[in-house]
Amino acid sequence: MPFDFTVIARNLDYLLWGRTASGEIGGLLLTVAMAVESGIIALVLGIALALVAWRWSGWVRRILLALADLVRGVPLIFVIFWIYFLIPALFGSSVPNSRSVVIALAWFSSAAVLYSTLSGLLAIPRGQYEAGIASGLGPGRVLWSILLPQAIRNLIPSFIGLFVSLIKDTSLAFIVNVPELTYVSSQVNNRTQVYPTEIFLFAGVVYYLLCEGLTLAANSLASASRRTGKTAAKSR
Amino acid sequence: MGLSFDWKGVMTGEPLRWLASGLVTTCAVTVCAGILATVLAVVFVALRISSNPLAKYSAMGAISAFRNTPLLVQLLFWYFAAYGTLPPGARLWIMDDHPWALLPGGVTILTPEFIASTWGLGVFSAAFIAEEIRSGLLAVPSGQREAAASQGLGPWTILRRVLLPQAIGNAFEPVVGQYLNLMKLSSLACSIGLAEITYQVRQVESYNSHALEAFAVGTVLYLGLALVLERILNLAKPGRFAAKPGRFAAKPRLFAAKPRQLPKRPKRDGSKESSHAV
Repeated sequence: MPFDFTVIARNLDYLLWGRTASGEIGGLLLTVAMAVESGIIALVLGIALALVAWRWSGWVRRILLALADLVRGVPLIFVIFWIYFLIPALFGSSVPNSRSVVIALAWFSSAAVLYSTLSGLLAIPRGQYEAGIASGLGPGRVLWSILLPQAIRNLIPSFIGLFVSLIKDTSLAFIVNVPELTYVSSQVNNRTQVYPTEIFLFAGVVYYLLCEGLTLAANSLASASRRTGKTAAKSR
Repeated sequence: MGLSFDWKGVMTGEPLRWLASGLVTTCAVTVCAGILATVLAVVFVALRISSNPLAKYSAMGAISAFRNTPLLVQLLFWYFAAYGTLPPGARLWIMDDHPWALLPGGVTILTPEFIASTWGLGVFSAAFIAEEIRSGLLAVPSGQREAAASQGLGPWTILRRVLLPQAIGNAFEPVVGQYLNLMKLSSLACSIGLAEITYQVRQVESYNSHALEAFAVGTVLYLGLALVLERILNLAKPGRFAAKPGRFAAKPRLFAAKPRQLPKRPKRDGSKESSHAV
């Protein structure tokens, strides 16, 4: 079967930016924007919830973990549907589709951030906490200044992994007609009809470069910081 | 709060029938893709740890490609691009009537949508399961492989009888998580027109706009399926029957039962291989 990749060149602008020029952000740009936005919300919310779950380890933690299980126990599409239909039903006004997808992704990912941050906090030796208390710091202060910084450093690889899945999960916005990369690819496919291989391969390659590039960059950053950390420790 | 529920619109007549057939389809695609994923994962792992660089790097490339692209794009690719490259004879055969492929609820498992979904989900999950098993393999001490090699076992037997059982034991929980994920991700197949639960939920929603009720039913179905699937998979948990002696009594005989001539030298240097291959 002959391939004709000029179809990509002809639609490249649309695939990358959508209708951004006319004020409606789309394509790869929207994919990245949604991932970054929901990633930041998920990180802040997830860490905040993990701090709460760490501080109050009784029923508060149990309720938070049960909620996280519930959110992660259903398919992401259903989280998107719920947000999409519940917000208008509860607040009477509808939100744009891309908003509801960002909220759903942030909610879904914050459950994962909560889980990994909490396990990161619990993995720090108990002595750190006790030493902090013995130095006269309050429990909140110990958590914020001693435990959290150590936990975050250990958790960076797992956060990168979560962000990579977040990038891939933005493709689900396709199902509620948000014009991100998967949606515009399928639009171009519907319009041209005969180039499905070229178009979906292109979309796959773009996602691959985004995800794999991010992983590689994060790994090299991590090994670089480990190296400087080691030399710093030695010089001390 | 403008919330009110009317369950009649979902739990009777046509909508109920749709949801039931969606449930059957989700179960069918999960089982078929799960079996496919298991087979492919073993193949991926075997290639990934083989000493042949071509096999190793092609498996690494495939695993990386399937893990780093969205399942949705993969499904669209298999359905719109790859399916069309099947020989016309095969496609005609698939479109024929096959009474044996008919499940209860009028669900047939021989449709382009079902085949593309099964394949897409199977390959995607296999890449993830293979990586879980590989990290389980990394946790198996290299002495196990060396001991098995010194008993004269071949590489395939070592993998199947010695390394894989331990690797699966190490990675059991994450692997179960991947199968549960497969079930949840089958919801994405609605985008290529597979009439599973999510597709039917949306059909109910556009039929009588009982959106919240339909989503509630769908959510409960997925949560229930996840619980049932987890129970079933945990039946296979290694060591579950270890307390009953009769069942695994055969295990220690693994090496003793088949005495083999020890080769003069082990075929491969086990320690060297395990350090770079696994």
